Amino acid sequence: MKRYDLIIAGAGPAGLSAAIEAAKCGMKVVVYDENARPGGQLFKQIHKFFGSKEHKAKIRGFHIGEELLAEAADLGVEVVLNSVVIGLFPEKEVTVKIDNHVEHVKGDTILIATGASENMVTFPGWTLPGVIGAGAAQTMMNLHGILPGKKVLMLGSGNVGLVVSFQLMQAGCEVVALADAAPRVGGYGVHASKVARCGVPFYLSHTIVSADGCDHVTGVTIGEVDKNWNVIPGTEKHFDVDTICLAVGLSPMSKLCDMAGCEMEDNPAKAGFVPKVDEFGETSIPGIYAAGDVSGIEEASSAMIEGRIAGIAAAIRLGYISEADGKEKIAEQEAALNGLRQGMFAPGMRGKMITETEEGVSISQNLLKHGFVADDEIERFPGITHSKGIHPVIECTQNIPCNPCQDACPKHCIKIGKNITALPAVDEEQECIGCGMCVASCSGQAIFLVNEDCGDGTAEITLPYEFLPLPKKGDKGVALNRKGEQVCSAEVADVRSAKAFDHTSLLTMKVPKEYAMKARFFRKEEAV
Amino acid sequence: MNDRNRMLAPFVPQPDDDIIVCRCEEITKGEIRRAVHDGMFTLTEIRRYLRTGMGLCQGQTCTKLVKGIVARELGVRPDALEPATGRAPMRPIEMRILAQDKEDAE
Amino acid sequence: MRINEHPILGTYEKGELVTFTFDGKELEGYAGEPIAMALKDAGVMVHRYTKKQHKPRGIFCAIGRCTDCVMVVNGQPNVRTCITPLEAGMEICTQYGVTAKQPGGETE
Repeated sequence: MKRYDLIIAGAGPAGLSAAIEAAKCGMKVVVYDENARPGGQLFKQIHKFFGSKEHKAKIRGFHIGEELLAEAADLGVEVVLNSVVIGLFPEKEVTVKIDNHVEHVKGDTILIATGASENMVTFPGWTLPGVIGAGAAQTMMNLHGILPGKKVLMLGSGNVGLVVSFQLMQAGCEVVALADAAPRVGGYGVHASKVARCGVPFYLSHTIVSADGCDHVTGVTIGEVDKNWNVIPGTEKHFDVDTICLAVGLSPMSKLCDMAGCEMEDNPAKAGFVPKVDEFGETSIPGIYAAGDVSGIEEASSAMIEGRIAGIAAAIRLGYISEADGKEKIAEQEAALNGLRQGMFAPGMRGKMITETEEGVSISQNLLKHGFVADDEIERFPGITHSKGIHPVIECTQNIPCNPCQDACPKHCIKIGKNITALPAVDEEQECIGCGMCVASCSGQAIFLVNEDCGDGTAEITLPYEFLPLPKKGDKGVALNRKGEQVCSAEVADVRSAKAFDHTSLLTMKVPKEYAMKARFFRKEEAV
Repeated sequence: MNDRNRMLAPFVPQPDDDIIVCRCEEITKGEIRRAVHDGMFTLTEIRRYLRTGMGLCQGQTCTKLVKGIVARELGVRPDALEPATGRAPMRPIEMRILAQDKEDAE
Repeated sequence: MRINEHPILGTYEKGELVTFTFDGKELEGYAGEPIAMALKDAGVMVHRYTKKQHKPRGIFCAIGRCTDCVMVVNGQPNVRTCITPLEAGMEICTQYGVTAKQPGGETE
């Protein structure tokens, strides 16, 4: 029987990170993954990640995946693809299906990093072709270059629903509406805002009444729900769509842990049935670890750190690193993990209603109900100032653990401070040179450069733009406000693309100056 | 859920009883609710009785949905229900492959 | 429909353009991509009809979990088309229950 120091089930962010740390200590590691490609969901994540430098913030998910794979390969980690772990037993014996046979392997330590599976909801017609999971949409468009549909309705306003809605538009689909049975947007406000300003209407407290069609989806009916989640008669709205995308949460895929005999718990804070683990990710069975979504749903960034911790802990256990050195490395990782678990969306905050930011600013209620900050709410946030000439306007209004904008500004105009979740503030003493680094570095696409009065009755707004075709200087079109409504005509004054911007182009549009604080997106006028 | 004498309110048909819950085995919400009233109080029993989660996908999609329906029928929180036993093989696998243990070269 | 150029991902690496058949009809796709992607590009939505209720099913999870997209591939039923790579000359048929035959005895 083959024997390894560490056997890992799942080559996603947690599994690969653990493999890297263990291999660094000299361990013989194998990673099994049932998919044809490694990286878990990282290769479908085309947006820039939140966090700080140590969390690989402002790097797009698929680039992080490439880095992890290269690092694992350099360290000699064996990654076996198309291999399905079908059994895990308390004696740390693993059965794995590879090609057309079953192999038995034994590990001195085991890490379960199997990730999560998508939750689903039922409604009449939910089995019709054209009703798909949000993950399916990402797989089609981001891995295989296939358009999931032409007109899509998204159900779910969590980060997955918001991010995938944006990705659908980037791929060229029309997102006709975003619905969620919850009364408030579940994901980051900045993700919601970038979807809303493209003109996607948000229907909170709405659920799907039915998917319509005979052999495949041709439409969808949604309706408003009352407090008991029942549809209120007369509130139904119909949309012609060919695709309904479901993004209603994730559940830990923890059956392997259960099978091995690990002590399990049903923990709503971790979004489901999870193994009980200590601070190193060790389950109730010594030497069997769990890391990433399988031990509680969080972001890929935290999964990577949990993986690293488990990898080091396994190395300590087998004596590949001294306890003192190992604990020191783990302490560094834990500090990074704590950094991510701060703010309004921290795991412990699930389901809590927050009315004020850490700074004492009232949260935008419009953002929670409709996906965008209203004109009469935006002024109270510290990222909004009105200096003369060009200056950054930072529409980041919730405490999330993210700070690349602070480092991006060469002139130190943007201040977040030591507390990573603090709202970015603009230091008006420092002079903005309009370089746009902050605009491109903001993972939430919440930073704009605004010159409120160019002296000729116009204002110039520079915004992040990640769509094709890229407008050109001189193109005429319309400016959309935060809600995605057309508010005035606009002309493209400049379009900048640079390697440092990493595929976020900076589009500068000229609008009448009274729209300086209203216009936030550009749409080219369709050729007649 | 070991109280076999638990008294349930009478079974009342619901308008969405014909909705499919287990997509593979085509088991409806009504069938699951009816099974609870027939005395199947645990997820393992439901699974054996109706084959929910026993089809090709092995409960990947419906496990949580079935749990929710059973819990509501019993009037308990979903997390009060013990999940159905997890067994190898974790994924559907053809018998000829399952029987094909690889011989060790060593 | 295929995405020719993506604002973040650019163009997609694809294998050789090959032909295969879907219910006897000749279609094109790229070798190595999942069968389901080639079918989706060709506008095929229904992969199978269920055994009991004869209801249409297609792509649902696209990662090999839900098994809704299974079809009869080269005579073998229950093949998960979303994770099975396309090969030149593959014979892909709509699955009815667990066979390629429509109920009522019509030939495939």
